[in-house]
Order: sequence, then structure tokens, then C-alpha cells
Amino acid sequence: MANFSIATVFVASISLLLALTHSFSLENPTDRRILVLVDDLALKSSHSIFFNSLQARGFELDFKLSDDPKIALQRYGQHLYDGLILFSPTTERFGGSLDVAAILDFVDSGKDLIVAADANASDLIRNIAAECGIDFDEDQSAVVIDHGSYAVSETEGDHTLIAAADFIQSDVLLGSTKIEAPVLFKGIGHSLNPANSLVLKVLSASPSAYSANPKSKLSSPPSLSGSSISLVSVVQARNNARIVFSGSLDLFSNKFFKSPVQKAGSSNKYAKSGNQQFATEISKWVFHERGHLKAVNVRHHRVGETDEPSIYRINDDLEYLVEIYEWSGSSWEPYVANDVQVQFYMMSPYVLKTMSSNNKGLYIASFKVPDVYGVFQFKVEYQRLGYTSLSLAKQIPVRPFRHNEYERFIPTAFPYYGASFSTMAAFFIFSFVYLYSK
Amino acid sequence: MNFFFSPPSSLAIKFAMAMKLGFTFLLLAVASICEAAAIFNPISESHKSAAIELFSPADGSFSSLEEAFEALRTFEILGIDTKPDLKDSTCKSVVDTLSSESSNSKDLYHALRVSSLLKCKINKEALTGVTSRLQGSVKDAKSLLDFYYSIGGLTLIKDQTSEVDVLLEDADGIFRSIKALSQSDGRWRYSSNNPDSSTYAAGVALETLSGIITLTSSELDGNLIEALKKDVVKLFENINKYDDGANFFDDGHQGPVSATSSVVRGLTTFASASGSFNIPGDKILGLARFFLGIGIPGNSKDLYHQIDALGCLDQNRALVPLILSLPATVLSFTSQDKLKVRVTTVLGSTSTTPPLSVKLMQVFTSGSKDASIINQELRFDPKEAIHTLDALPAGVDVGKYIFAFEIVLSDPEHKKIYATGGRTKVPVYVTGFIKIDNAKIEILESDSVETQNKLDLSGKNDVALSANHLQKLRLSFQLTTPLQNPFNPHQALLKLRHESGVEHIFVVGNSREQLKITLDFLGLVEKLFYLSGKYDIELTVGDAAMENSFSQALGHIDLDLPEVPEKATRPPPQAVDPYSRFGPMPEISHIFRPQETRPSQQLSYAFSGLVFVPFLAFLVGLSRLGANMKNFPTSTAPAAFAILFHGGIAAVLVLYVLFWLKLDLFITLKTLGVLGMFLLFVGHRTLSHLASTSAKVKSA
Repeated sequence: MANFSIATVFVASISLLLALTHSFSLENPTDRRILVLVDDLALKSSHSIFFNSLQARGFELDFKLSDDPKIALQRYGQHLYDGLILFSPTTERFGGSLDVAAILDFVDSGKDLIVAADANASDLIRNIAAECGIDFDEDQSAVVIDHGSYAVSETEGDHTLIAAADFIQSDVLLGSTKIEAPVLFKGIGHSLNPANSLVLKVLSASPSAYSANPKSKLSSPPSLSGSSISLVSVVQARNNARIVFSGSLDLFSNKFFKSPVQKAGSSNKYAKSGNQQFATEISKWVFHERGHLKAVNVRHHRVGETDEPSIYRINDDLEYLVEIYEWSGSSWEPYVANDVQVQFYMMSPYVLKTMSSNNKGLYIASFKVPDVYGVFQFKVEYQRLGYTSLSLAKQIPVRPFRHNEYERFIPTAFPYYGASFSTMAAFFIFSFVYLYSK
Repeated sequence: MNFFFSPPSSLAIKFAMAMKLGFTFLLLAVASICEAAAIFNPISESHKSAAIELFSPADGSFSSLEEAFEALRTFEILGIDTKPDLKDSTCKSVVDTLSSESSNSKDLYHALRVSSLLKCKINKEALTGVTSRLQGSVKDAKSLLDFYYSIGGLTLIKDQTSEVDVLLEDADGIFRSIKALSQSDGRWRYSSNNPDSSTYAAGVALETLSGIITLTSSELDGNLIEALKKDVVKLFENINKYDDGANFFDDGHQGPVSATSSVVRGLTTFASASGSFNIPGDKILGLARFFLGIGIPGNSKDLYHQIDALGCLDQNRALVPLILSLPATVLSFTSQDKLKVRVTTVLGSTSTTPPLSVKLMQVFTSGSKDASIINQELRFDPKEAIHTLDALPAGVDVGKYIFAFEIVLSDPEHKKIYATGGRTKVPVYVTGFIKIDNAKIEILESDSVETQNKLDLSGKNDVALSANHLQKLRLSFQLTTPLQNPFNPHQALLKLRHESGVEHIFVVGNSREQLKITLDFLGLVEKLFYLSGKYDIELTVGDAAMENSFSQALGHIDLDLPEVPEKATRPPPQAVDPYSRFGPMPEISHIFRPQETRPSQQLSYAFSGLVFVPFLAFLVGLSRLGANMKNFPTSTAPAAFAILFHGGIAAVLVLYVLFWLKLDLFITLKTLGVLGMFLLFVGHRTLSHLASTSAKVKSA
């Protein structure tokens, strides 16, 4: 028995080790193991294109029913997954040990999350969203209706199938290829908490949209309306954990991926909706295949030198260098931008300078140390839409001139020197005259 | 990939799966406007492309004969041609399997199934050998699947060739031993020592038993067949039902798609072997609806089960379901769209449907229970096989309706062959152009009109109004449908947007054939957060039935509201534009302390020169006074001391110069100390010499 248990522990630890080597790391930030929770296993088949695209990109998907009693996100303090997909909008309670707190804890440890809600989304899903600064319409029966930019359909007449084309302008979130066709959306809308600066609207509704129950008469103003309705939003936490919230589960379905789309009032007919491109690109972002930055080789020195000094003197000319790379899903590529800024900071920035780049990932800034002494910091606070934030800080003291470092021969003082030296010379001559003259 | 076949780990999961699937369909049903009103469309082109995508073998040939059969069967039903080289390679593996000694009855069965689809050339000897092996395995068979494979194999050989004798000797006995596995609820067990019963097995058993019927030379015992028919009826009593009229069988082990598909396969083969029997038509139609309702499955196994079951239902001897579908349920009043109805088999074919007519029986107005009874027959266009309603029934204006159709078979005898399912309720949207009249916006002061602006809501508007908190704003307009009825849109919202971005939305109410809203600013000051200033007015009117839904800016109003009292609520914070939040920050460069202002260098140099003037004057003065060195000691020793003394003074002065140029204080003081001692010594000697000389001179 004892032998057996030792063997089990050994095998378990070996497999854990193997699992860890293939997983997420700082050097390889793309997620690997993803838990997919569905409230109906038929989703695996009806949303297979989305799941297959993830599997084709190397993700290991683990499908579980949301009320499976064996669900666990971590075991022995180790996370079993790098990402979580919640395609279970109606689940009122998760099985196993999973609850809102466990999911938030998962996110707090830097893991990623995709949540898709739907009409009749449960309070559980709404709570998770609310914790992330996303408020789904409180009216349970409300869906997003748009009589202005609905998808023209011969069978869907209630204008709840929306052709949304109001994307966020960000290559890192949605890829560099423009999404031409509108994205089909059928579900509920949400609003973003204006105080939350981490959450971004990726797909917004058109100005004519509103969130209401299509079957009952509208008696009070809809709680959400116009382009302030967000259909799909993303959150990037301060620890770079990424979250996608979609008000529609159908957005990821095979049916919507393949269906042709025509926006009301527009003569453009697209053979295929933008859903597949949108879902694929946003999943690339959320699982860190794009927009993940790292800064290496942070160094600084006086102009003309190469060694890093331990202290600078006021008015020194210095150079600050940093290399920034972006993870492309398989390798680190040089990050090219023209807006990386460095601050020379003590209580407030004394110098804030945009760094020049060699387009190979190296960023340089050179400036003169201010004529204020104290303990400064080199700070790079790089926060760009969709990218992970870079926050570098390096402390460096700055001292004033030493006594012998001041200017020694000031022309203004020459008359004084001249006077002293002429007096000295006169004294020397006078000593002769006084002693020896007759 | 195939979750329906993966062995479930616990009973709870099985149950959950069934519940969950049920729930999804329930949702589907709820989503479809009104309960029991849903459209099921027959198999379409998209199934074909999905099948080609899912069944295309990765390396040019199928991985197993079972997979090959599933692909080929799906292709056959959907009418997709198989590539000749794929055919050849598959036939080759069929022949290999059939001639191999090691293949068991399952392999043989799958090989024969593929061969029945591909018409592979198999020589008679091989078939005879296979036949005897299968007949042998029928005798040894213990479990249901053993029977299924061997009897299925024999049936396939019988269909392919008449040259080989495949008849069973003890058909009654085999029939009884399979029948012995049946359960009282119509389900079957896989073997006698396995107590679990399953619906999937029931379908398998039905198929096997109908195989036995075709493999006997003599008639089987009629009681056996009758008992089996009763089992089938029992099985159908336990069928699961969705709200939209779809029926399915659930099976913990296999999942609903494969279980239902298996039953359909068993049922249709049994019907073709033993003739029709009494299954309610709506249940058969419900099964067809189930398969059509699941859309396009994302994995090949489910797709095969779906298509195969529909293929079996398409032409069978039990009951052929007829599907009533509408190509379009959104009809436009403006373009005079006609309501079109197609009646097809499940595979979308119209050529095999019997002569029939479609009647529109009732029209329900959405949201109300009362219906107008119409009973109007639709015009049939034989060329396109479409039934058309030439004109919408009287009284049907724009809006949502539920139309109830009925399929009437021309030949009453056909009722035994076809399942039409009684009334089919279909949600229909009638859209139209809504006329907007009498639109005006007014400012009222104690109910008398202060200013009035007419609006052209179909064009552009830009009104400029101003009001204070004692006045009111009134907006009113009339909407009329094409049939001159007043129209009340779902969305009629008036939006006021303050310069600061704060938005207020008001619902435009409906009163006496007119849409009207009166904003009494006195009551609204609190809600408007006492924000005076310019408000943009925007009106959005929209409805699912309104083709000219619009959202337009009407202009602006300047509100003059009272001062903010201290306790008033503050306006909520506005969302910040994300692009500005992430942009680069403005650069900061340090402003250095300015250099001290100094006089110009020339001035310094000029004064440096000037300070030497007294020195020169001193020299000139000395020479005028006739200074001389006559008193300098002449003897050697005092002269040497005098030279050393003055040299010492010179050294001290040079040291001062060096101190200025480069030396620091420490070296200077040390050196000065040494020089000072030296000077003290030589100075004393020199001065004492001088003193003694002068004393001599005085005394002399």
C-alpha cells in the first residue's frame, strides 16, 4: 500500500512537472491549458469552429459541464489551467469548488477569462461581470434591439439580431486586418463603469440601439441605450490578466460564423459575417498571443561611457536604454512604436522624454540630469490600449558638484588675482629696496 | 471530439446532459416569439458544405471503414459525389477486410456496408466465405451487438447478390433470443448479463429483427411481430417532447442525437420489413423536427446521425413527414411581398411529395389570444412547387402575427403514408412604411404656446429653442400605418444631451392616436442636475414593423435652470474616451537654473590690465627715487643667506601662484610651513647681518 502511494505521488509529480514545462511562463506567456465550462455539451458541436481554431493554435481545451462536481481550478496550490472560457450563461451555480470568488482569484493570479452571456443570463454570470466593472442590463428579459442597424433577415423580424460594426480602433485587440463585415450579435447589452479605467468597449452598439424586452411595451426609459451600450468588452487587469465579456454566446457559434450578413439600410452584402475573424482575433488577444510586452536590458550611462554609474552628478549628460519585445504567440519580436516615454522622477517627473527607437526594439533617450540633487528614478510607465502595461523603475541618486568641480578660472576675477599678484611682485621688489637700497 | 459516445463518468453527468440539452431547446423555443410557433427548414446547401468539411479525410483515405461508411452515407443522402480515387482506395480496404481471416463480424459488417454504398467488386468466393462466417457467428452470438453485426452483414450480402444463400435456418429461435433482451418500457439491453437498458439498443434491436424477417424463407411467427410492434408503441410512449413540437429519445449512454437516430433507423427498417404500423403521425413529425432543429452539428458523428436519420425518414414505409417551411417570414407591405410556403420532405425535396394544398387557417395577432379564422387556400405554382398567398388577409396591417397553416392532402388515402402534423403555426412579421404627420415641438408657458416649430421628421431639422424652468417642452407627432391605423412604435425615445455629456432619455407616450411628450422642466430640474446650458435634442423612433425607423437630431434647447442648491445630487461621471486615456503624455524638460550674469570678458581683462598700473607706477617711482642695491652684502656667507632669504620669499610667492593654479590647501600649507621655517632661519641671519652692518656704520 505504502509502495503504491509513493509510486502514485512520484508519477503525479512527474506528470505535474511535465505539465508545467509546457505551460504558461514569463518567457512563453501564451496560455496553454484552457478549461471550457458549458451548460450544454451540445455547445461543443454548435461552436466547434471557434473551439477548433483554438485547438489548432495549440491550446488544450478541457470541456466540462458547468455543474460538473469535479471542476477545480487549482490543486495543491497549483493552477490547473491558464485560461477559462465560461460558455455557460444560464448556470446559476458551478459544480465543485468553483464560485465567483474562485474565478476572481483565478484572474487575480494573472489568468485569463472569456465570459459569454446571453438572454436569460444567470445572476452568477452577472456577478462575475459586475466584479470586473461590467454591468449587464438588470432587466432579465431585456435584449439589445436595434431598429437602425439590424441584420437583414428573411426570418428574423424582431431586430434583435444586430449587425454591429462599431469596433474599437486597435490593431492589437482586433488584428491588423480590418474586419470588413459586420459582426452578428444577438444577446444582452452591458454598460461600463465609468470609474473603471481597465475596461474597454470593443464592440459598441449603434446610436439607435436600446436594451429592452421586445415582447412588452416600453413604459420607462431603457436603462441602456445608444452607443453607450457595449456588446463586447475587454478588461486588462493591473496584473495583465485579460478578460473578454460578450453579451452574446451565439456570436461564437458556427451558425453566426458562417451566415451571410447584410446591415439594414446598406446595400453591401457579405457572404460571411465578421464573427469568425472577430472571435479569433479577440481570442488571440485574450490568451496573450498578441500585445504582450516585455522590457529587457534596461541600462543607463553617461554619454560616451558604457559602464553604469552608481550616482550621477547634476548636469551630467546621460543615456537611458531599454529593449522592448512583443510576444507574437511563438517568439519575441521587436516592438516598434514611437511613443515610449521615460521619466526622470523624484516626487514628480523632472524630465519626461519620448524615446527614439532603432525599429529593432531598442529605445534610447538622452538628456541632461536636472540641476536638482536627490534620489531620482528612471521610470517607464508604458500603458497603451490593448498592450500589457510596462512599469519599470530604477532608482539613481544625483549629487551636486564637489568643491573642486566648480569652474576654477573665472575671467571676472582676473582683476583681483592681478591685484594680488602685482602686490606680491611689488612686495618682493620692495623687500630688496627696503633692505639694500642706500 | 464525439461527446455522445464518450463514456460518461457518472450518472449525474448523464442526467445533467439530458437536462441541459433539454434546456437549450427550451430556450430556442422561448426565443421564437411565441410558444409552439417555430419554423423548421429542411436540409439545405449549408449541410452539404458542412459535410464536405467534416468528412474530408485528412490524408486521402478514411481512417476506418466505419468512418468511411458514415461519410459515404452522408454524402449519398446529401447528393455529394465521391471522388473516384477515394472510392478505389476504400474499395481496396473493403476487399482486404472481407478476405482477411482475422476480421471479426463487426469489421465484416462495416466492410459490407461500405461496399453496399460503393458497389465494390467482390468475388463470389469471398462473399460465400463471409456468409458462412457470419452465419456461424449468428449461432454463437450472445450479445445484441453480435447479432446486429452478423445479421446486418447477411442482410447486406442478400441486397448485393442473389447468388449466395444467406437465409437463416432457425430464424424464429434467433428472433426469440433477441426479443428476450427487450424491456417492458420498449427499451433493450445489450446482453442478458447487463441490466442497463438503452434506447439506442432498442433501435439496434429493431434493425436486427427486421434483418431476420428479410432473411427467412418462411413466414415468422405472427405473434412475435405483433409483440414487437407493441414494444415500439411503448417506446414511443416514453418519447421526450420540446415545446416547439420536436420529439426525441434520450439515452444516458449515447446522447439524444445518436439514440433518436438509432430508433429512427430501426423503425424505418422494421417498417419496410414488416409493413406499416400504428405510430402517431405527430411523433414521427416531431422526430423529423428534432433533427432539423439541431441545425448543423459541429462533429462528424452527429452529422452522420442527423443526416442518416433524415435520410431514413425521407422515404420510409411507416410515415413520411412533410415539412412546411417559409422561405421568408418578414414581409414588406411596401414591396408587396407575398407569403410563400413550401412543403417538402425532410431532405428538401418537392418531387416526392404527394399532391396537396396548403390552407391558411387562422391569423393570430401577436400579444392577443383572439384569432381571425380565415380558411383560405394558397395558390400552388407547380413549376417552383411553391404555395403562394396572393394577398394578405383583410385586416392584416403592419405588425407581428402568427399564421396557422394546414397541409391538406388531395388523396385522403395518403394520410396513412404522410405525416403532416395538423396545424403549423408560424410567426410572420409584416413591415411597412409608416407615415409621419403633424410633427411639432413647442415651448409652453402655463399651457399657452410660447413658440412652436413644425418638424419634418423625414428630413432634417435644426430647431433652436430656449426655455426656463417654469416652461414646458412639448413634442408631438402622428404615425399612421399603410392601412391608416394609428401606429404605436416599440421605441419612441426623446434624448436630451447636455454639453457636458450627461444624457436624459424620455419615453414618448402614446395618447389618442398621437405620440406626445411634455417635459415640465419645473419637475425635472432635480433630474437634470440643475445643469443649465445647451441641450441637444434627439428623437429615435423605431419598431420591428417600421421600415422607416429613424434616429435624428432635432436641434437644441437652451435651458435656464435655477442655481444648484447645496444638497443637490451631482451629475454622474462621464465615460472617458479610451483613446485619450492611453495616449503618450506631453513631454517635460527640466528648466535649469540660469547662469549667473557676469561682466563681459573684455571688461575683466581691461581691469586686470588696470590693476597692474599701480605696480608699474611703483617701479617707475623706485627708479625715480634712485633705488639701488648698494647695501647688498658683499661677503660670501651673508650674500648667500640673503640670496636664500629672497629665494625663499620668491618660493612662497610662487607657492601662492601654484596654489591658485593647481595645488590644494593641504599641500600648500605643508610646503608653506617648511618654507616658513627656512625663511625664519635665513631671514634671521640676513637681518641680523644687516643690523650688525648698520650698527657698525652708525658707530663708525
